[in-house]
Amino acid sequence: MASSKGANTYNRQNWEDSEFPILCQTCLGDNPYLRMMKEPYGKECKICARPFTVFRWCPGARMRFKKTEVCQTCSKIKNVCQTCLLDLEYGLPVQVRDAALKIQDNMPKSDVNKEYYQQNMEREMALNDGVNPSGALGKAMAPSDMLLKLARTTPYYKRNRPHICSFWVKGECKRGEECPYRHEKPTDPDDPLADQNIKDRFYGMNDPVADKLMNRYTSMPKLEPPEDRTITTLYVGGLGDKVGETELKDYFYQFGEIRSINVVSKQQCAFVQFTTRAAAETASEKSFNKLIINGRRLNIKWGKSQGQIGTEREEKEEERHNLAPVPGLPGALPIPPEEISNNFFNLGPMPPMQLRGPMPPRGPPHMIPMFMRGPPPPGVRLPPPPPGMMPLRPPPGVMPRGHVPQMHYPSQDPNRMGATMQNR
Amino acid sequence: MPKVKRSRKPPPDGWELIEPTLDELEAKMREAETDPHEGKRKVEALWPIFRLHHQRSRYIYDLFYRRKAISRELYEYCLKENIADKNLIAKWKKQGYENLCCLRCIQARDTNFGTNCICRVPKSKLEAGKIVECIHCGCRGCSG
Repeated sequence: MASSKGANTYNRQNWEDSEFPILCQTCLGDNPYLRMMKEPYGKECKICARPFTVFRWCPGARMRFKKTEVCQTCSKIKNVCQTCLLDLEYGLPVQVRDAALKIQDNMPKSDVNKEYYQQNMEREMALNDGVNPSGALGKAMAPSDMLLKLARTTPYYKRNRPHICSFWVKGECKRGEECPYRHEKPTDPDDPLADQNIKDRFYGMNDPVADKLMNRYTSMPKLEPPEDRTITTLYVGGLGDKVGETELKDYFYQFGEIRSINVVSKQQCAFVQFTTRAAAETASEKSFNKLIINGRRLNIKWGKSQGQIGTEREEKEEERHNLAPVPGLPGALPIPPEEISNNFFNLGPMPPMQLRGPMPPRGPPHMIPMFMRGPPPPGVRLPPPPPGMMPLRPPPGVMPRGHVPQMHYPSQDPNRMGATMQNR
Repeated sequence: MPKVKRSRKPPPDGWELIEPTLDELEAKMREAETDPHEGKRKVEALWPIFRLHHQRSRYIYDLFYRRKAISRELYEYCLKENIADKNLIAKWKKQGYENLCCLRCIQARDTNFGTNCICRVPKSKLEAGKIVECIHCGCRGCSG
């Protein structure tokens, strides 16, 4: 064995000699003016065991010194940072990335096979442009939903903190404030995250961090489509002032035909009704938790079914109006046909429209704001109110509650007879 | 073992005035040399030696240049006998190096980026509240 690095010429040609390390943003730290130390053939790669150029630097104040751990060939094969072995593009462990992109990468792990594989990969990479990742990763570049949700978008500098002072843990640290290591309680040794190893992380097997991330992904909130198949409406919340009907239409038209978009600016929400259930389902899948329009993250929910709204309304009405029914009335009158306002195409009764709050049965909406969360969307036929309830309602705003109004005749409601425009 | 005398000449006048202090420092140095290294960090082992060396040189330097208490002959005798470090004293005469802790701390060639030791950074330039203890001699800041 040669005594110095320079004298050892055995198989020297595949020793790596590089000018610049392959690193991620987090490992580089927050300081753009970085000094690095370079040591040619300083250590052996922790994966392929060949000598490589080690870089060492301090990623910012009160951070520990970091150095490159694997050689550039190994890092390029997996498209990972030379130091933290996390994916360069998404900042995720190899296992998570491979699972998300459905890559099957069978890297050999025995010595000779490994050498042969490295050699082939190096030859392949020499032909590559060096910009795109090579190997199985280069072929499977379709960003998946999982990657986008789990990926880190900002650097996570906490990873560069010093290690925990082992003397302090034993209660023997004499350096006190001056100690450059962290004086903190160590993590639980039974925690699976405490048992990581660089080879497993590189090959993407038994990686506890990856398991944790996968669990997080599976437990992420999902939007379950309601059982009532007639619901085709999505609630869009958190609109603010910037998002209006046009923006919503521009976004949602891609999933299918939109029947109506109903913006309730007061509640900063909107109801998007599709013509088909399938369209509504795709729209909810594609936009739940990721829809951002004009810089606002919009909140997507399913609309409520008409049945629920009906019961809610009944409850409300019951507590609000205790009026005597008109004696001798022949029950509910049939609702006048809708052709007055909206039914341009002579469509049959539409699927019930869902609102978050109950819809007003009748009456000009501007007079009963607290009762009403949003105007019913155009083209939606209001269901006939339950017979017992209908005649009980005084014209809102005419008389204060608890006053004299004992009777309410349906004809008192101007809206019902088509005297006013359907609330627009 | 007593310190090896370089010259046969008897020490100049005033030697008997500074001798007890120098003997005391010498005894301390012996103690520091035989001190066990257990429980110390690797870099910490030499810190007491550096500190005593600095103290001894500083004593002679102060007596001659500040208090003018000893003669030039005695001062030069001390330099010649290696009681005081003449290279260190030479640095102390330069502006900005008045309190230099040791010569290693200004040896820029020994550092990765050609810089001086952290103890040479003025307190005002350091971030507030940072405690410095240089690895060469354990100096906590010798540059104002």
